[in-house]
Amino acid sequence: MTTYLYEQDLVPQKYRILVAMRHDRLVQQISLELDIPVQELRRYLIGHLDMIQLENLPARAEMAEDHADKGDAVARALGREKYTVYLRILPGAAMDAIFSEVTTRVHAGASMEDAVAYGRIQIREALKP
Amino acid sequence: MKRIVDVNIPLGPIHPCFKEPIRLKCEAKGERIIGAEVELGYMKKGIERIMKGRPWQEVMFLAERVCGICSVIHNMVFIEAMEQISDIAVPPRAAYLRVIANELDRMQSHLLANFSYCYTIEHETLAMYLLDLREQVMDELELLTGARVTCAYIIPGGVRCDIPVTEAEALPASLDRMESDLCRYAGMFECGPMIALRSRGVGILTLEAAERAHVVGPTARASGIAVDCRQHHPTYRKLGFVPITRPDCDNFARVMLRFDELFQSIGIIRKCLQELPKGVVRGGGVCKAGEIRYSGEAPRGELTYFIKSDEFGRIVEIQIQTPSIMNIEACCHEMIIGSDSIADVTATFVSADPCIACTER
Repeated sequence: MTTYLYEQDLVPQKYRILVAMRHDRLVQQISLELDIPVQELRRYLIGHLDMIQLENLPARAEMAEDHADKGDAVARALGREKYTVYLRILPGAAMDAIFSEVTTRVHAGASMEDAVAYGRIQIREALKP
Repeated sequence: MKRIVDVNIPLGPIHPCFKEPIRLKCEAKGERIIGAEVELGYMKKGIERIMKGRPWQEVMFLAERVCGICSVIHNMVFIEAMEQISDIAVPPRAAYLRVIANELDRMQSHLLANFSYCYTIEHETLAMYLLDLREQVMDELELLTGARVTCAYIIPGGVRCDIPVTEAEALPASLDRMESDLCRYAGMFECGPMIALRSRGVGILTLEAAERAHVVGPTARASGIAVDCRQHHPTYRKLGFVPITRPDCDNFARVMLRFDELFQSIGIIRKCLQELPKGVVRGGGVCKAGEIRYSGEAPRGELTYFIKSDEFGRIVEIQIQTPSIMNIEACCHEMIIGSDSIADVTATFVSADPCIACTER
């Protein structure tokens, strides 16, 4: 059987990055925000981001806090730019679909909280492996 | 008929143009790069883990061993963080000497970065000139601190030793020599037609993308973001520091910005020597318990230490956010994407002055 010299299993190394002090705080915060079990979120991040993106997650999250979704309250509550453009956890198209559904619900008279809660369920579904 | 083939091209971990091991897995469509993935872990030191539970007297030596190229700033940021926690005042003369050491360190780092870039684009003549100039800066750093790297010059409440009288007298003449050489080398880079072909319009990092990735240091300033921690440092503010920016966002801008900052560093050192206050260089003090986030401007950008210490000055928690983390991430996921040639990948990567030792810690 051929084994490639440099093709390693990076999961343990990526996991070590995610359990560092600031990374862990961020993962806990996202997991609370989206109501996803921490280990499940970690598994998703390990599967979808490379090592340097994982290392840079807290810095990107700080920039998202300061600059993302400035104008729109629904976008801010959902983390539209935060999760797509800044943290790059979700593909833009999936988030756009969720955002337009939530906006439609708000325009149709649903309360902001209910609509955003629905949106977060959709985000959770999108994050499932 | 020309065929376009989709291929995955691994660069590294060992590559002639990389100073340190890292693996870039580039996805290419023909010659155009459409994606990249970074693999780290070839030089992980686990230094944050080693620091935990140790007294500051040991951690200050470990901190400067995070990176051999910018060891002075790791020393400075760690010590200044401990000083902030413990309310330790620094004598004015020591504060100025710290700036001189820091700027000499920045100069040698920028010269090494520009050497690497010139070497990568095969301009070996200019590369060797720059490396020669770096040696002169390293000599000055050695005369000031007693060592070329890992100097442990900065200690809580001051610096380890005063500037020798002979060095204080000889440094201005040496700076004049360096400045005149630098003028020539910067001119060679700026006016070289082949250099421009390889560098202008290559590796574009837009201002928006740089902001999103929290890019810092010369890489950010070459994209027009006026971000520099020295603006908020008390000694630099006394010296009237203003960051330099360039709007071009390409490889050429990043290298030229480092040349600009070399001249700026020479100016800062000159000003420090002219205004160097008299007095002691070691004020003393005791490190105490506390928690802090403290940033300083490393040659590659904002270096941040998150420190929690106990009442004996032992480090309970520590995390280091080095500038290369942000810069390499932006480089691999923004700058090199869309490159028209695979040969531009290494040049673009090196133009961001990546430090893998810092990234892996």
